[in-house]
Amino acid sequence: MVVSERALVALVLLLGGAGLAYTAYGSGGFADLGGAFSPMFFPRIVLAVWLALALVNLVLDLRQGAEGPTLPPLRAGLIAVAVLAYVQLLIPLGFFLASVAFAVVALPLLGVRNIPMIAALALAVPGALVALFNHTLAMPLPTSPFVWWL
Amino acid sequence: MLDTLPQSLALIFGLEGLMVLLFGTALGIVLGALPGIGSTVAVAIVLPFTLGMGQAPAILLLLAIYAGSVYGGSISAILINTPGTPQSAATCLDGFPMAKRGEAGLALGWATSASVIGGLCSAVVLILAAPQLAAFALNFGPIETFALILLGLTCIVSVSEGSLLKGLLAGVLGLFLATVGGDPITGEARFTFGQFQLIAGFNLLAVVIGVFALSEVLIRAASTLDQAAGVNAFRGIVLPSWSAWRGRLGGLAKSVLIGNGIGVLPGTGAATAAFISYAEARRASPRRENFGRGEPDGLIASEAANNAVTGGALVPTMALGIPGDAITAVMLATLTLHGITPGVRLMSDQPVLMGAIFAGFFLINLMLLPLGMAVSRLAAPLLRLREAYMLVTITLLCAVGVYFVRGNPFDLLVMALAGIGGFLLRRQGYPMAPLVIGMVLGPTLEISLRQGLILTDGSFAAFFSGHPIALGLSLAALAMLALPLYRAWRRSA
Repeated sequence: MVVSERALVALVLLLGGAGLAYTAYGSGGFADLGGAFSPMFFPRIVLAVWLALALVNLVLDLRQGAEGPTLPPLRAGLIAVAVLAYVQLLIPLGFFLASVAFAVVALPLLGVRNIPMIAALALAVPGALVALFNHTLAMPLPTSPFVWWL
Repeated sequence: MLDTLPQSLALIFGLEGLMVLLFGTALGIVLGALPGIGSTVAVAIVLPFTLGMGQAPAILLLLAIYAGSVYGGSISAILINTPGTPQSAATCLDGFPMAKRGEAGLALGWATSASVIGGLCSAVVLILAAPQLAAFALNFGPIETFALILLGLTCIVSVSEGSLLKGLLAGVLGLFLATVGGDPITGEARFTFGQFQLIAGFNLLAVVIGVFALSEVLIRAASTLDQAAGVNAFRGIVLPSWSAWRGRLGGLAKSVLIGNGIGVLPGTGAATAAFISYAEARRASPRRENFGRGEPDGLIASEAANNAVTGGALVPTMALGIPGDAITAVMLATLTLHGITPGVRLMSDQPVLMGAIFAGFFLINLMLLPLGMAVSRLAAPLLRLREAYMLVTITLLCAVGVYFVRGNPFDLLVMALAGIGGFLLRRQGYPMAPLVIGMVLGPTLEISLRQGLILTDGSFAAFFSGHPIALGLSLAALAMLALPLYRAWRRSA
């Protein structure tokens, strides 16, 4: 049997719900308050509904077989990795440098091949945002240890 | 509220108020015209700009972006056959054929006139209905509030796009995300797994921007990217003459009523209203054979209905604190960020602000006419921009927006992960609006349920005895869930 991306997502949702439900139902560290006073009262109801729905959803998706979209193209995956790296670098490198780096990586991934255009856009958009927020609106974006004067 | 009307009007007609309305409406039109941005993303990316503003200008700016972007979607629908927003998808059907035969200006003229009339009528609905609904809901205790939120959630799930099951699952996922962090009654940390950043819970706007804006970037990156679009020749909007309206006013009125009615229902949204209205216009129009070939009746039906939804969608948001769709969920989050608690007490506690919102929303819709005529000429060249440029710009704006909410780097990570998760879920048909609305309503649902159970000594059955409103609302919620199941059963039988 071919497992589709749809069934895989449904399985992840079921396993995620099961793991969280295990944490919620097995938590002994909480104050021993009964019924509605317990901090886990509401999450346990939510997780029980989650598990039930995720189980039915998985069964239905498995019955559908390999229908649905195929695995996402590499480009989307690479952009996702670039976004993750960008948000991690935003504070240590500052907004301007991290954004320039992100644009330089993302634009070719999105099919832009014109190097002067990549350079211009990678500098212009972050530069305009820095000018707007830091200097016009006086709401400073994360600064860089290298281009602190921006 | 009438007593405080002069103060409300002073907020709007001050320099800041007018600038915000003008700039916001114009920007909303431009953002709405750019394919791929849409009203929700437009409101989300403009949000950080409101953080340094007062309450009234901030809310007015977002309302202007909302109304402007719904109208702006018609520009790209007519000029390049790509709706800027999903609400304008039906506009392509007759708008683009008109543009192809050299009548782009007139097509935009019909769309603009219908949008303005639809929007103004929706503002009247908001002004009349929201205070009445809030006054009725003033009698609600925790049990009625619980039943009301349950009804709101089931409404949204059962009428949102995609399968009922996936919508429910997304809603439950949103409810769970809302439980992460401190317990609202005891303060104990839940599901933080030792991460101190999670004690305050997930930042709602980081999740909203992630699942709507960032996931849209990834979805577009996964699809075949558009090159610069071919834009039909356009030299400015040409308004239709009075005589051209003859024989079309009945259809316009019907479309406005459809939009108003659908707008008040949580979850349905402007796209549904536009298509229902279009189908009804095609059925009833004496020129039905021209539909799909550039018939103004089709344009009027779509644009009057989608703009007529905007005010209606704000009714449950403002009066009850229950967002009708993803856009109003973002609005609700913004209100909270600005220290405003939407819901039954808002009308009585903040009459000046509410007056400014009502009058401002009316003015925004009035401004659509002159601003639409001016801005559409500026927006048209922007449609030639490559999609890749917009996607990178949107990503940077997402990061800026999330950073400014709390200045917390952890929120940026949450946004990125929500974007990737939203991308994977949306590809498989899980709607994101129920997730966000579940997250928005989760804390109130939890508190009202737990308070209700404490009041009834733990008896859930007591929720329905002696609480006729709660019983009625719960039965309506059950019916909302049962209806799609019944329809599916009828189809298979």
